Amino acid sequence: MSDNKFSVTVRVWRQAGPGGKGRMESYKVPDVSPDMSFLEMLDVLNEDLVRRDESPIAFDSDCREGICGCCGLVVNGDVHGPDEHSTVCQLHMRRFRDGDVITVEPWRVKSFPVLKDLVADRSSLDRIMAAGGYISVNTGAAPDANAIPVDKDDAEEAMDAAACIGCGACVAACPNGSAMLFTGAKISQLALLPQGKPEKARRALAMVEAMDAEGFGNCANEYECEAVCPKDVKVANIARMNREFLLGNFLSKR
Amino acid sequence: MDLGFVKRVIFTSIGRKFVMAVTGLALGAFIIVHLGANLLLMKGEESYNGYVALLLANPLILYAELGLAAIFLLHIATAVWVRWEDWRNAPSGYEERRWQGGRTLGSATMLYTAIAILAFLVYHIVDFRFGDHSVGFYQMVTAAFRDPVFVGIYVAGSLALALHLSHGMQSSFQTLGVNHPKYTPFIKFGGLLVALSMIGFALISVYFLLELDHRKAEHHYQVAATEAR
Ligand code: SF4
Ligand code: FES
Repeated sequence: MSDNKFSVTVRVWRQAGPGGKGRMESYKVPDVSPDMSFLEMLDVLNEDLVRRDESPIAFDSDCREGICGCCGLVVNGDVHGPDEHSTVCQLHMRRFRDGDVITVEPWRVKSFPVLKDLVADRSSLDRIMAAGGYISVNTGAAPDANAIPVDKDDAEEAMDAAACIGCGACVAACPNGSAMLFTGAKISQLALLPQGKPEKARRALAMVEAMDAEGFGNCANEYECEAVCPKDVKVANIARMNREFLLGNFLSKR
Repeated sequence: MDLGFVKRVIFTSIGRKFVMAVTGLALGAFIIVHLGANLLLMKGEESYNGYVALLLANPLILYAELGLAAIFLLHIATAVWVRWEDWRNAPSGYEERRWQGGRTLGSATMLYTAIAILAFLVYHIVDFRFGDHSVGFYQMVTAAFRDPVFVGIYVAGSLALALHLSHGMQSSFQTLGVNHPKYTPFIKFGGLLVALSMIGFALISVYFLLELDHRKAEHHYQVAATEAR
């Protein structure tokens, strides 16, 4: 298999710590196999850096199968890399050619401060969730799963919204750094279901206010988020959030 | 009295966007009526001046004007606020960045078309609203439309408006939470039609620039003359 190996140059953002200044640095990676994932290629580069006593490039990843939302890089200007609706851990080196120069950058959003190299702190999304991205249930025996009828179409739509893995690509891709696709998905997945209905006004108001408090930009309906979202979350969820928020504001007692 | 809900309209992202969308739609409705009025120019002096006289005779016209101005100012104020926040938090510093096909020409140029429209509007108001009305409204407008410089500005203004509305119309509905698999395609199509119709302003001004109205009158005159013979 060694015959189809090739070499690439990666230009990577290096930043020593939070708030620090960073810069792009170039590294040559020889012996890249087309079967490697993009992150594996970075692993190989890191092993090489460690061998040479240099500090390895910090980047986030966990599942490496596109379901956890940990990874997130801008590759050659494409959020999550060149594949459509895919996470960067699902990107493979067969997408590149021998001699390619690949630019790798972290999410560059003020609400996601870079901690080191390619690692951005996305805990602002967790704080939006903590503000209302849940339902309240009594502890004890789990209720019968089929006791509450749910419309099949609603269940599917809720499921599609719940596919959001919280990767933050929507924010990184948005011209305004808005987190409304994420927040819209998180509000929708509950608002669509009967279990989420009792708290829906409170939830929409609290989550939008928490989102604003994190300093995210405002949605201008550019829909760049939908175009990059690895889970293909639809902007109809943003409309639902707007609706839930406005109805909650004008019609609820809060 | 709990004013929390009013505060939320002013101080939250979606609240401000709500104001921007509602005022935007109101301005869209206004501009369509305005286009209708301009079409009367082509029917001739009598129709146009008659319409203007009817408008001015309405005792509520001053309040309507003030209301319109207020809507404009609200639209501008919320837009500036929203934009300023966006600008502060917009991702910045990417070495390379590629748009992924969500943006359109209209959406990406909203700020620039907005500035162009505002500049045009100021010029338009100074020129027409506070201009010399003594010659009659029809004469004032058509005289301006025979000046190539004015028509150039006017055409540019209406194109900027068309581009602005190509995004703004459908965007307003999304912001108001109106997004439905059945109706959104119609809303988008309707928004584009409204945007496209703004080119009508340009066409009407060019009509007078090319003196097509004179030609039409000549034609009438000739037909009348032949029939009389
Ligand atoms: S909406 Fe899509 S892009 Fe945004 S955080 Fe969720 S999965 Fe990522
Ligand atoms: S590492 Fe889990 S989605 Fe990429």
